[in-house]
Amino acid sequence: MPLSSPNKISLTEQPKVDEIRENKRKRNDENNPSPLKRARELDDPANMTDSQRKPNFSALTTPNNGITRHSSPLSNNKPGAAKKLVIKNFKEKPKMPENFQQETWRKLCEAVEAIHKSCSIRYSLEELYQAVENMCSYKMSANLYEQLKLVCEAHVRTCLEQFKADNSDYEQFLKLLDFCWQAHCRQMIMIRSIFLFLDRTFVLQNSTILSIWDMGLDLFRANVISDKVVEVKTVDGLLRLIERERNGEAVNRQLLKSLLRMLSDLQIYKEAFEKKFLEATDRLYAAEGQQLMQERDVPEYLHHVDKRLNEETERLLHYLDQSTKKPLIACVEKQLIDQHLPQILNKGLDNMLQENRIGDLMLLYQLFTRVNHGQKDLCSMFAVYIKKAGRMIVINNENDPDKDKEMVQKLLDFKDKIDNIIDVCFGKSEKFVNAMKESFENFINQRQNKPAELIAKYVDSKLKAGNKEATEEELEHLLDKIMVLFRFIHGKDVFEAFYKKDLAKRLLMSKSASVDAEKSMLSKLKQECGAAFTSKLEGMFKDMDLSKDLSLALKPYMQNLDVAGLIDLTVNILTMGYWPTYTPMEVHLPPEMIRYQEIFKKFYLGKHSGRKLQWQPSLGHCVLKAQFPSANKELQVSLFQSLCLLLFNTGNVLTYEEILTATAIEESELKRTLQSLACGKPTLRVLSKKPKGRDIEDGDKFYFNEEFKHPLFRIRINQVQMKETPEENTSTTERVFHDRQYQVDAAIVRIMKTRKTLSHNLLISELFNQLKFPVKPTDLKKRIESLIDRDYMERDKDNPNNYHYVA
Amino acid sequence: MLLDQFNFHYISGWTAVASWRWIANDENCGICRMPFDGCCPDCKLPGDDCPLVWGQCSHCFHIHCIVKWLNSQQVHQLCPMCRQEWKFKE
Ligand SMILES: [Zn+2]
Ligand SMILES: [Zn+2]
Ligand SMILES: [Zn+2]
Repeated sequence: MPLSSPNKISLTEQPKVDEIRENKRKRNDENNPSPLKRARELDDPANMTDSQRKPNFSALTTPNNGITRHSSPLSNNKPGAAKKLVIKNFKEKPKMPENFQQETWRKLCEAVEAIHKSCSIRYSLEELYQAVENMCSYKMSANLYEQLKLVCEAHVRTCLEQFKADNSDYEQFLKLLDFCWQAHCRQMIMIRSIFLFLDRTFVLQNSTILSIWDMGLDLFRANVISDKVVEVKTVDGLLRLIERERNGEAVNRQLLKSLLRMLSDLQIYKEAFEKKFLEATDRLYAAEGQQLMQERDVPEYLHHVDKRLNEETERLLHYLDQSTKKPLIACVEKQLIDQHLPQILNKGLDNMLQENRIGDLMLLYQLFTRVNHGQKDLCSMFAVYIKKAGRMIVINNENDPDKDKEMVQKLLDFKDKIDNIIDVCFGKSEKFVNAMKESFENFINQRQNKPAELIAKYVDSKLKAGNKEATEEELEHLLDKIMVLFRFIHGKDVFEAFYKKDLAKRLLMSKSASVDAEKSMLSKLKQECGAAFTSKLEGMFKDMDLSKDLSLALKPYMQNLDVAGLIDLTVNILTMGYWPTYTPMEVHLPPEMIRYQEIFKKFYLGKHSGRKLQWQPSLGHCVLKAQFPSANKELQVSLFQSLCLLLFNTGNVLTYEEILTATAIEESELKRTLQSLACGKPTLRVLSKKPKGRDIEDGDKFYFNEEFKHPLFRIRINQVQMKETPEENTSTTERVFHDRQYQVDAAIVRIMKTRKTLSHNLLISELFNQLKFPVKPTDLKKRIESLIDRDYMERDKDNPNNYHYVA
Repeated sequence: MLLDQFNFHYISGWTAVASWRWIANDENCGICRMPFDGCCPDCKLPGDDCPLVWGQCSHCFHIHCIVKWLNSQQVHQLCPMCRQEWKFKE
């Protein structure tokens, strides 16, 4: 209830302007209820007991300003008049005393002036209420309102004079203004409480008339603030205070808050203050942005922007009007972020990404999200960085093998790093994830074939026995990560070729670390590329299983033949189409081994007719029982290594040429074999060589190493031929290209066979859909020509762009 | 061989490797014209999944190819290469 507001005001407090405004609002809400209710409410002060009223009122004035309580308006100041009785009898209109209007107004005017001067009021509140009520009852309301307004206006004008005379600095000026404003509010609250009846009758009934509180505001606005000198001084003062605060000084925020509230209350906040404030803000941050972009490195700059935003938010919290929030923050964002987007990105992003500055990147993302194209620009520069940094990992113009050796691990690490940045700093944004994928796909395919090959070899290194690092679980996780890289590769057939070659070695040399891991990798590849991609790889596993069964069946077969032999023979039978192509080599085997081969061949062809077998000695390996003077050993060696070592059964020294003639092993293969026996780790040299040296030369002499000692009984001698030769590498790649031709042919025939007739363009687009490797339209055209030449299809006689299938 | 005079090494275990292919009189199947080391157009995998068969005329084809061919012949079942009557070898 509005009446209660004076009760809450004390002079020692800041006037609760909020409260007044709030009450004003409530009052406005109450503007409509029935007059009856209003009348009842008006009775309330009269129903208060004296003791209730007195302390309340005295709270409004200085303690000494006691108000004489006994008087009532009708009793003509006679003390002791029974006011209750008078009021109760007031229902009948008494006659108007002479000079009633002047007298009553004099009293009221005196009270108002006392309030203005902060002196004590001679009359009791009740008396004053009554005076107002009486005047209103006698239809003097309009007059009373005008008189009151004149008195208030005169007082407000004296304030203005005070300001005009004031020559103190702006802060003093602001304090003075604030003091006057606070006083004005306090006074208007008291005046309003006295004239409440007027406010609730006359004012309410006349929509054009301002409430007493609003009149007070209006007077203050019209007479004080609207004075150009005062307005300029006020606004400039406020702006200077804020500027000082922005420069890092602690300023009187209470003063700022109070005066800005004043401007809001006077409804000139926007035009008088906010506009200029925003202009000043704009100028400040435009200059600051320019300067700091030059002077500071980007992370520093970003932290500064963040600080500024926080400060401005604080300002909003402490003294600016909430309506300023949007334009103010927008202004800071524009001048400190938006204006410098390209510069921030060009100058700072690469470094921050390179150095993995998580915190700074987080901030960058947050700040950029605030402005319109921020995320988009950040995302595209992020993509540019990934391509650039990725290229550095992938491209190897000098073909430095050490660099290539590290490529896949570096790619994995790079991917982890980028993923982490997207997760932690860029809000897991899908936009960024997609940009990352596109960029990886882009850079990884900038170099033809090699990444695919190296990924395949990396997988080999992890699936090979002796890979210490991983538990099954870690290995599985690693394979998943590899698959992500694999997904980006266009030439998946290159991967397949190298993967197959390594898988073949793992299977044939029993070097696979874990069958589960092999199968798991296979199923990942199948999932990624479809069953056709892995069918041959699966065929290899199938061959291994069949070979195992075959070897089991071989044992009783040989026993039946009564072949007395020392050799435990196992044969892995490869189906040509599944496995890598191996160049057949003819070598000289000891007669016993030839006999074993013949027995096996008969055994195998007896089971499978229409086939021929091709031995692959380069893939064979043996267990060799060797006698050294120090001890007997069991050597795990390749077939070629065995052939060389067996020669030393017949002599203790052999020349290179003698070994070459005796074994007929191809020269480069033989050199690597001898290297592994005579030039490897000193503890594993079962042969010694003269002259000493890493390379095998014509004329070198080899001796059986009598000194050979090794703590183990079973010894694996590293098989140098396991390593890939450059020729082997080239031939793998060439085979891929040859295979691609074959696959293109097969795809064309398949498509034409189902579609019968197809236009050139449709055929090409179908092919692009089906082929899993990068291919140029001109290459496809060549294959089509070739198939036409070979009568698989023909051109339409009328339209050479259409093809028909030839059955 | 004087065993006791020289060092004596011998092989106790041997894992040999051999690859197999069809014994065919041509590189390619005369019906589908795909290489015999590969499979017929209906198959994905060469080898046991898409075997070859020989006729008494000594021509051979992917089994899937010749069976399809023979099914398409109305009256006489002839070898598509030499037009002799087709009879499976063995
Ligand atoms: Zn065929
Ligand atoms: Zn088939
Ligand atoms: Zn024939």
